[in-house]
This record gives sequence, structure tokens and C-alpha cells, in this order.
Amino acid sequence: MTNEDFSARLQAAIARHVGAPGTIHDLNRLTGGANKTTWSFDADVAGAREQFILQLASPRANDESNPLAGVSPHLIADEDARLMIAAVKAGVPAPRVRAILKDDDGLGPGYVTERVAGETLATKILREERFAAARATMAKQCGTILAAIHRIPVAEVPFLMKLTPLEHIAAQRRIIEFYGFHSPALELGLKWAEQHAPRNSRHTVVHGDFRAGNFIVGEEGIRCVLDWEIGQSGDPMQDLGWVCVKTWRFGGKKPVGGFGTREDLFEAYEKASGHSVDPAHVRFWEAYGSVRWGIGCFSMGTRGTEEVGIERCAIGRRVEEPLWDFLNLIEGRD
Amino acid sequence: MPQSAPKAAVLLEAAVKYLESELMPTLDGYYRFQTRVTVNVLNTVRRELELRGAQAEAEHSRLVAILGHDGEVEALSVELAEKIRAGSISIDDPSLRAHVRQSLADALAINNPKWMTR
Repeated sequence: MTNEDFSARLQAAIARHVGAPGTIHDLNRLTGGANKTTWSFDADVAGAREQFILQLASPRANDESNPLAGVSPHLIADEDARLMIAAVKAGVPAPRVRAILKDDDGLGPGYVTERVAGETLATKILREERFAAARATMAKQCGTILAAIHRIPVAEVPFLMKLTPLEHIAAQRRIIEFYGFHSPALELGLKWAEQHAPRNSRHTVVHGDFRAGNFIVGEEGIRCVLDWEIGQSGDPMQDLGWVCVKTWRFGGKKPVGGFGTREDLFEAYEKASGHSVDPAHVRFWEAYGSVRWGIGCFSMGTRGTEEVGIERCAIGRRVEEPLWDFLNLIEGRD
Repeated sequence: MPQSAPKAAVLLEAAVKYLESELMPTLDGYYRFQTRVTVNVLNTVRRELELRGAQAEAEHSRLVAILGHDGEVEALSVELAEKIRAGSISIDDPSLRAHVRQSLADALAINNPKWMTR
């Protein structure tokens, strides 16, 4: 497809799903990941110029020949959009979906959301003076937002993969078995997780990748939570632990995303959800999350050699970082 | 056959020096970032050439002590991983913990030495 064809099809899709005439301006490709491509554009809709984001799934993302398909959560574009719609309805600052593409739009699976202005680069948010007030409030905001995510009725999003903590760990085992990755450190991590997995957790919608880097931030704080494609249902404390994993602190000293305290996160979550937070329960998910990220680094690095080049290869060499953090966590050396 | 000269470490150093001080200043955006990653990868290879030999010897000794028999270091490590999975060695065993900690520290000394001090 040429750029002109692409732009013409997008205009037709905007006119059809959002409003006429749908004239496209400033179409720019922002990222091209292994799973999806993101575009930014403006469009004339019903007499006003509006700002949008287009997400298109790569054909490979839904490849049924992928032997690991269905092992761990991964939403197709249509489900991803429906989860964000349910999230907005529950009061979550998620991207507002304006169109879910149909087959005959000729663009492949994808959706259009409203574009939110702000910064996503965690290192900038942690260091720049203009985000000082945002940093002071973001841990509390995380607590309030997570409480809202965990209130989304599971029945509204029945396509989410349901995973108990033990099933979650079993899925990670299948991934390392598939790749034939035999590491004493990883086996120690998974065995520890099996022995310490919470047995009596609640079951709610879980974002799955709620962390610094996936927030659009303005000077007043978090404006939008992105990247819903590994949404799932399971233990809500998973999200509270993941946002504390050291990798996602991007060099910042504070435990929540490098910017805030666990006390602020837990207090805001308890206040907004009415459920008490057991710090040891969250700590399990932080420790196991570190192991899970180690496996993520390994599988990205392994696929990288034939697919996406040097950046993915370099990620493969980051396996030991979260495993080192894991060992320090369980030995109380963090 | 005597080793060719310059040695691999010197070749890598020269490549890194060119990329960092000559090429990178002419680049920005995507290409600058990718070149930065390439420099990091070459530095990882350089540290591996320098450190891995001694690390592997020490790792071999630790594995022999834990497992009670000799073998190639990679095979012994796979065997230890399988024993942990099967539950035939406890994850609370102090010699296992010490071995895993040292192995992770060794790998980080090659892959990202800064991680241990942050």
C-alpha cells in the first residue's frame, strides 16, 4: 500500500466511524513494534480539527502458528479497544476509543483513539523540574487509578484470560520450556514463586503492564494509562507489585516507579477501593514480577536475532538485572 | 598457531572508539540510539572476553561441589536447574543461594556492571 492509499483509506475510515469529511493532516508513524504500529494524525471531523492516535496490529501478532499463542495473555486489537472502553466507563484515565476498524476499512485490525498530550519517557518525568509536582502526586494517583481498574466488571470484558497466581507461574514455565532455557537462577525464582503464591486472592480485571513508561504525564500528574494489550483477570495485587519492580524505576530511588512511596500507593488504593492492602502480598508480586521480567528479557532477546535486530539482542543480556533484584528482595537486601 | 594481532579486545576497542567519537556525533534520533546500543553490545563482548574464562572456572568448581561430580560447566548448570525444578535441592540451601548470587554477579559484571550499585 502506498502512503497515498493508506491516507485515503484512513480518511474513509474516519469519515465512516467518527465523522465526515475525515480529511487527514500530519500523519506520522510514531513507533513500529513487533506487535503493533502506532501513528499520530489530525482529522477534520464535523467542522473541527481533532487529534488522534491510530494503532494497527502487525499481522504476526495474531499468527496462529505461533506455538506460544494463548499461553500468556495477549489481546487482539478489537479486545484491546473494548477493554479501554470498559475502563473509561469505570472512571479510568484510559485512551478514549473513537473507532474500531472493520475488515472492509482495508487497514487491518486496529483502532483509533483520542490523542492525549504529555510526556511518556520515564527518565524525563523523573528528572525534569517541571514534573516535580506530578512526581509528588503520582504514587497516590496510581493507587486511585488501580482501584478503578479493579472495579471494571469482569463480565463486561469476558474475553480476558483468567489466571490464578499459580496458573500465571505455570504459563511462565511453559515459555522457558519452549525456549529450552535452563538457568538455576530462573528455576530458583519460579520455585520460590510456586511456594509463596497467594492462595486466597481476589479476582478482578488486571491491567498487566501498569508501570512508568506506560503513563502519559503532564505537569499536574498522570493523564492517561496506555498499553492495555496484556490485560487479564486475576489477583489485583499483581498490578500494585508490578509498578514497584526496580526495572520500572528507571534509575529513580523511590519504590513506586522511581517517583513515590509504597505508603502513598497503598493508602490511596485502600481509600478508593475499600480493600485493605497487605504489603507482603504486594511484595510477592514485586518479587515474582522481577522473575517474569527476566523471562521477558530472555524471550525477547531470543526472538531478536532473526526478527528485530540489535536492540532486542541487547535486551536478552538484561535477564540478570531483575533476577539480581529478585534475589535481593527475597533475602531482604533491597 | 600463534594468536593473530591485534588481539580481539584491541579490535573491539578500536571499533567502539570509532563509533563513539567519530560516528555518533554525526547522528541523531533513531540512528544515534541504535549506534549507542551497538556500542553497549560491543563493550559487553569485550568484558566477556576479559572476564568469562576465570568466571567459568570458578563456576565449575562451585557446581562440582554442589552436585558432587565432574562435567562440562554448561551441562552441570543445566543439571542444577533441573534439580531445583524437581525439588531435589532446596531453594533455601545456603550453597545454592551463594552459587546463584555469584553467578548473577558474574553475569552482571559482563552485561551491565552498573546495575549492582544502583
